[in-house]
Amino acid sequence: MGTVRIPSPRGAFRVWQRNATVFRKFWKTIMLPNLFEPLLYLAALGLGLGAFIREGGINGLTYTQYVAPGLLASNAMFAASFESTFNTFVRLKIERIYDAIVTTPVNAEDIVAGEYLWAGTRAALYGTGFLAVITALGFAFPSEGLLVSSPWALLIPPVLLLVGIMFSVMGTLFTSLIPSIDLYAYYFTLVVTPLFLFSGIFFPVEGFPAPVPQIAWFTPLYHAVNVCRALATGPSLGVLADLAWIFIFTGALALLPIHLMRKRLIS
Amino acid sequence: MNKGTEKKPGAGEITLTAKGLWKTYGDFEAVKGVDFEVYRGECFGFLGPNGAGKTTTMKMIYGAAVPTTGELKVAGLDARRAERDVKRRIGVVPQENNLDEDLKVEENLLVYGRYFDLPRKVVRQRAAELLEFIQLSERADARVEQLSGGMKRRLLIARALVNDPDLVVLDEPTTGLDPQARHLVWNKLRQLASEGKTLILTTHYMDEAAQLCDRLCIMESGRIISEGTPRDLIEKHVSPEVLEFRASPDILGQLATVVEDVADAVERIGEVLLVYTSDSDSVAHKAKESGILVENTLYRQATLEDVFLKLTGRKLVD
Repeated sequence: MGTVRIPSPRGAFRVWQRNATVFRKFWKTIMLPNLFEPLLYLAALGLGLGAFIREGGINGLTYTQYVAPGLLASNAMFAASFESTFNTFVRLKIERIYDAIVTTPVNAEDIVAGEYLWAGTRAALYGTGFLAVITALGFAFPSEGLLVSSPWALLIPPVLLLVGIMFSVMGTLFTSLIPSIDLYAYYFTLVVTPLFLFSGIFFPVEGFPAPVPQIAWFTPLYHAVNVCRALATGPSLGVLADLAWIFIFTGALALLPIHLMRKRLIS
Repeated sequence: MNKGTEKKPGAGEITLTAKGLWKTYGDFEAVKGVDFEVYRGECFGFLGPNGAGKTTTMKMIYGAAVPTTGELKVAGLDARRAERDVKRRIGVVPQENNLDEDLKVEENLLVYGRYFDLPRKVVRQRAAELLEFIQLSERADARVEQLSGGMKRRLLIARALVNDPDLVVLDEPTTGLDPQARHLVWNKLRQLASEGKTLILTTHYMDEAAQLCDRLCIMESGRIISEGTPRDLIEKHVSPEVLEFRASPDILGQLATVVEDVADAVERIGEVLLVYTSDSDSVAHKAKESGILVENTLYRQATLEDVFLKLTGRKLVD
């Protein structure tokens, strides 16, 4: 059928619930590496590289203060990207879990929406864990400056949910197009890694000559990093523009993977 | 499995109607306009070689394929317009195992029940009953991958019953199972039928169709080529008795000409001559009289297999 179907919230919730049931069994094992990874970056770059940029810091922040909130955003990107690529592909083509679900009142479109929500939830869970760790680190080593210094940081988990959904939409779009799991190497090398490196996590892109800042503005992680950094250190109104960007981008793209995945599941 | 409610007598009531059901994939016509009706409480079978369109027909019934044209009604509901409501009333046992391997045995039933929005308490009770029914209660906490093929198939059957469906669709329910496991599955399906569940199944095992189906149809190349009760089909297409003569090929040729005029049909497959007749005595007599040396003679009743092979040919189909 040519028409795009709008997911049912109830059906999407059932899929979310299925993933949550599985996650609850293994969450400790699953979450640990995801907490360590950003910590490694923080240690290597924040402390290691940061030692050389001690003078002045960036925009009034020490280098560690600058990098930490950005890693919150990239952590959410990685969590949602893995969920919507490898994990979704396994459920789609290898375990064939979706084939079983579409024979129930839960439709194909509900499955995709449920997966968006789940990837967002996972991103928010990881991010909240990491947020707690860096907040504590800041208090433990006050001489380095607090890594999270604004109460607005309490809004970071819901923002990471949104960021997770955005990257889930992107990952699911790629998943809905590829025939083989090996092709994810392209997605991670050509999309995820460049976003990670050039979205203002490790250095401000604004200082670069045109068109670098302009290009950055068109990419999703850039805005997520802006919002996280602003919420961690005290926001300005500019955050609203970044949030609006994320909302519009996610909303505009969300129905396309739903349509394509439905075509893969229902012949 | 006792659900505590009596099945209402539903003889003659139609559970499923298909009219001119057609499905094409690009240039390939998988199903070319099939018509059939399934009555409440019966077991209706689809027999046919691989690629005949059986699975596609099943998929259209349970919503995994959308008909290109034609009408499909389940319990009076249009399968396309009332997709969710139709799926709510159907249980599906797919051809390939798609149990949720991330979940344990019982969890598979509990999580599946949630897809139907069943209350937690109801699902818990039903899951326990169903595990009992398929004799897997002791494996409730086992991981799915630890189950044998037969157990997995039984669990798929239990999963298809979680929503207490009006109609259970089974796509090749015993393909790939060993004989013991097959008999256990048949046993369970017969039990379901006796409880008044409506079953639709596909198979390419004739004995399975004969054992389980009240009525069946034979599909070939996307069309239904015959339909009826197993007995009807046998009466309609082949003679009631079969004599199988085994001998060297050159002798069989002579024998064929000898018995031809008393037989309804004669067919040769390798070193066997099949003689279809309603009077096996005269055939046997004729054969004996001719003095042709036959190594071995077997007398049997005609079966669905004879019907099937007559209608779909003996050539190898992929």
